Amino acid sequence: MSELDETIKEFLVESLENLEQLDRELLALESDPTKIETINTIFRIVHTVKGTCGFFDFRKLEKVSHVGENLLDSLRSQKIAVTEVIITTLLRLSDTLRELLANIEESGCEGDGDYSELVGLLTSLNEQKITLTSEAISINSKSEGSVDESSVVLLKTQVSEEGQDDELQRMFYAAQSEWQNASSLEAPGAAAVPESSQIGAAENQAPSTVADGSESPKVSESKKSELSESSLRVDVNLLDKLMNLVGELVLARNQILQFTKSQNDGEFASTSQRLNLITSELQEGVMRTRMQPISTVWNKLPRIVRDIAHSCGKKVVLEMQGKETELDKTIIEAIKDPLTHVIRNSVDHGIESPEKRLAAGKGAEGVLVMRAFHEGGQVVIEISDDGAGLNTERIRAKALEKGLITSDKAASMGEAEVNRLIFLPGFSTAEQITNISGRGVGMDVVRSNIERIGGAVDVASNPGKGAKFTIKIPLTLAIIPALIVTTNNNRYAIPQVNLLELVRIEGAQLKQSIERIQGSDFYRLRGKILPLVYLDEQLGLSAANSTKSGGGILNLVVVRADNHQFGLVVDAIHDTEEIVVKPLGRLLKGISAFAGATIMGDGQVALILDIVGMARKAQIAKKEAAAKHEESRSNDEGKTSERKKMFVFELGTNKRAAVPLDQVYRLEEFPVQALESAGDHIVVQYRDGILPLVDLRGIYGEPPEISEGSLRAFVHLSGDRFVGFVVERILDIVEQCVNVERPYPKQGLVGSAVIQDKVTDLLDLSAILQLAELSPKHSFDAREAR
Amino acid sequence: MPKALIIDDSSTVRSIISKMLTSWGIASIQACNGQEALQKLSTECDIQLALVDWNMPIMNGLEFVKQVRQESSFKEMRIIMVTTETEMHQVVSALEAGVDEYIMKPFTEEIFKEKLNMVGVIG
Amino acid sequence: MEAAANQITQQPVLAKHYVTFRAGELFFGIDVLQVQEIIRHQSMTPVPLAPAAVKGLINLRGQIIAALDLRSILGAESGISDERTMNVVVRADDETISLLVDSIGDVIQVDERDFENVPETIAPHIRCILHGVFKLKNELMLVLNSGACMERE
Repeated sequence: MSELDETIKEFLVESLENLEQLDRELLALESDPTKIETINTIFRIVHTVKGTCGFFDFRKLEKVSHVGENLLDSLRSQKIAVTEVIITTLLRLSDTLRELLANIEESGCEGDGDYSELVGLLTSLNEQKITLTSEAISINSKSEGSVDESSVVLLKTQVSEEGQDDELQRMFYAAQSEWQNASSLEAPGAAAVPESSQIGAAENQAPSTVADGSESPKVSESKKSELSESSLRVDVNLLDKLMNLVGELVLARNQILQFTKSQNDGEFASTSQRLNLITSELQEGVMRTRMQPISTVWNKLPRIVRDIAHSCGKKVVLEMQGKETELDKTIIEAIKDPLTHVIRNSVDHGIESPEKRLAAGKGAEGVLVMRAFHEGGQVVIEISDDGAGLNTERIRAKALEKGLITSDKAASMGEAEVNRLIFLPGFSTAEQITNISGRGVGMDVVRSNIERIGGAVDVASNPGKGAKFTIKIPLTLAIIPALIVTTNNNRYAIPQVNLLELVRIEGAQLKQSIERIQGSDFYRLRGKILPLVYLDEQLGLSAANSTKSGGGILNLVVVRADNHQFGLVVDAIHDTEEIVVKPLGRLLKGISAFAGATIMGDGQVALILDIVGMARKAQIAKKEAAAKHEESRSNDEGKTSERKKMFVFELGTNKRAAVPLDQVYRLEEFPVQALESAGDHIVVQYRDGILPLVDLRGIYGEPPEISEGSLRAFVHLSGDRFVGFVVERILDIVEQCVNVERPYPKQGLVGSAVIQDKVTDLLDLSAILQLAELSPKHSFDAREAR
Repeated sequence: MPKALIIDDSSTVRSIISKMLTSWGIASIQACNGQEALQKLSTECDIQLALVDWNMPIMNGLEFVKQVRQESSFKEMRIIMVTTETEMHQVVSALEAGVDEYIMKPFTEEIFKEKLNMVGVIG
Repeated sequence: MEAAANQITQQPVLAKHYVTFRAGELFFGIDVLQVQEIIRHQSMTPVPLAPAAVKGLINLRGQIIAALDLRSILGAESGISDERTMNVVVRADDETISLLVDSIGDVIQVDERDFENVPETIAPHIRCILHGVFKLKNELMLVLNSGACMERE
């Protein structure tokens, strides 16, 4: 690399750092436009860029920064006041400088862009005492600097206090002629300041700069210069190489440790132990060089938040806590997009417009808080907003509409579960995608991006108060803990991030706990039905131990991929180890079952399983659905004879009935006085609402008269509405195998079963509600209640 | 061995100047603001020349020059103010404060050499 | 040289020196600059679901490399992978693979005038991994296109 190239590279690095600071300072200036310090810092940054780029003959860079510097000079000497338009234009300047630097980095030259409009604008802003509104700017930009008289008249202007009417007119015409000159690169003598006042002014200026300088917090500034002494710029490729070498060293160390186990040589053992310690420390040290503070990602965010807020007409303030929290650089790249998307989502959909906020009694400015910290070997990032929170009911309805959940599920899901539906693929649609929220990327992509790097994302919402997204990610990707298993005499590694638990099933238990549904095996783990995946089968290997024939032992690794769980059947389970992840080459990359390979302590290669890929290939989602379907189907047909929890009650003398316990929301007792009527229904006031009551005792004939005392009932959730079922007496809750028989078909009954040794009717609550015209599709007008 | 002190808050500029000096056999040390420069002066010896940028945080060029010129021990040190067009109006106060010469950014090697000649650093 | 350029879309600059070896009764050569090293039979970890020609993964001083059985690519019955099998470790386009072959020959120098396009007599599935052939004194040396090997289905 020639010396000049090296220097240019240094220039690019330094300037990009400066531009980041520039953005920060501009935003700070926006919130406090009177702070002279900020203006001075901004001036100095642009001044430095201009002063340095001249050495390289970057003309465009020089021109743009030159006019920017002039404007800033006027600002710092308070000839001009800071306005919104000026800040927006200076931000544009920052973007332009960045663009030019990017061109230089890519091709070595500044590119073909024409920046005359920006140059003209900066010049005009500097020379006018009139400040322009944004409307003016857009007209200007359309006509590329040559503005005709009619459009001049159209401009709205805010006149600063010193302007008076004639003054105003004079300036108008001055403005017009300036704009006509604006299209030429030679901006009219921007730096020309009347000489007479010069030197005197300079003398007054210089000391004030010094005074300001010494007022500013010395601590942080001097720290900066200390940092510039004690830190180095290192090529990232070099760090990668170092990391690779350390990885190799770790593996070699592992091999040596294996040898020591078989050796009896004391000296050898102690030397290799020393090697072990040193290697561990080296590994830790090098890994820490790759750790960068999350501020590298966060630094861009205030700008993004401001831009989005502006485009949606919202006011948002961004607070960041824990900027120094460190992440491995491999992860930093991966979280940039997801973080940005979550923020866009919060600003666009979460935080309300200033009017709505004021109406709700909140401040007009929304607050977005980002918090990062280390916890339990992971990095946790929380993004909270004080907006409207998630509209749970709308999410529920939408998921139902899109067929993402069944109506039963929809009815029984709690609020938190419903909120998580936003992460389902297919949830967000075109209507939700505004220009701001991105290229049609939904929360599902955020989740899959985060999960791909071994992390997790969740959401919590407080309606009316706000929402909080929590992202958890591992500290590094290159070295992960994994469980080693064996199948067909070969070892495979399962990343711990996918691991849920280990199960060993033997002997008689085997037959009992494995069910076959629609051609696939399932295992019932604590009541939850788990699809089984045989690893040897998945890998196309012949099963060495055919456990399907009934004998032997089954080793099950319960794993998780996205939202699905399944049990992976392997021959043997070994220890958990820390492994170095190595990518597979081009030839093998496409195999969905593998995520990479690693070298074990004995020097042998082992493949790392890609649990998500495997789940997809084994069609886990389909199997789960089939199993659930089968379960509910056989329930309906009364063929099931598994244990169920039943709620048993009496509807009259010797008239026993029961419903599955999961259909019972609560048990209640209502005094007769509380009963009221609404339309054709008896109702009672319940929990801020009105609860219609269905008297189940009426199934067998007329219900008894209600005269005194209180009614016993259980509350059931039907759709999104509660209904109360009145019973005579509550008997018991039992768990037993329920064999449904259908002695006589009667509406409202599923059949009968023997429960607690007595014949008990099994009620079909949804059918009963239909009959009572209280099913979800009947509208129940609560206003009718007296 | 004669040394030069380069004082500028831009590492790129320091690097450029340092390379030019090296090609003429002049060693250099760097500081990124006036305060740091003063620290360097107290610990390093035989600094014959200081190239001072004007606009720097914490302590700017003018302040630095004023302080340095108060010390008799640095009487012999040549000071060249590195300035830009914007600061041209400050050259007079710089000269009054004790600067020997000034040079405007960006400059070529030839101009730099000439200035060094003028202050007697390169024979 | 032009002949070679016409036949193949990419234009390999023909090398002067080739590492030669035999696999399945055919005699091959690879540009010596592409050959990283030649090693003996290594223990491999099989990769289920991989193309049949991929016999496994090898640990080469910490680098994990796929081992391709050249003999099965040629359609010959998969040669015996035993102590006599040699690994030719080849590097092309930033990827490294190891080719399993029957035996290693000498490093030879060729005359570019002896270069010819792949004869019609060579089966298509072999032709696609060759750049061309060199007519040597006693036999034909097939110039192996390592990049093509890495792309194979």
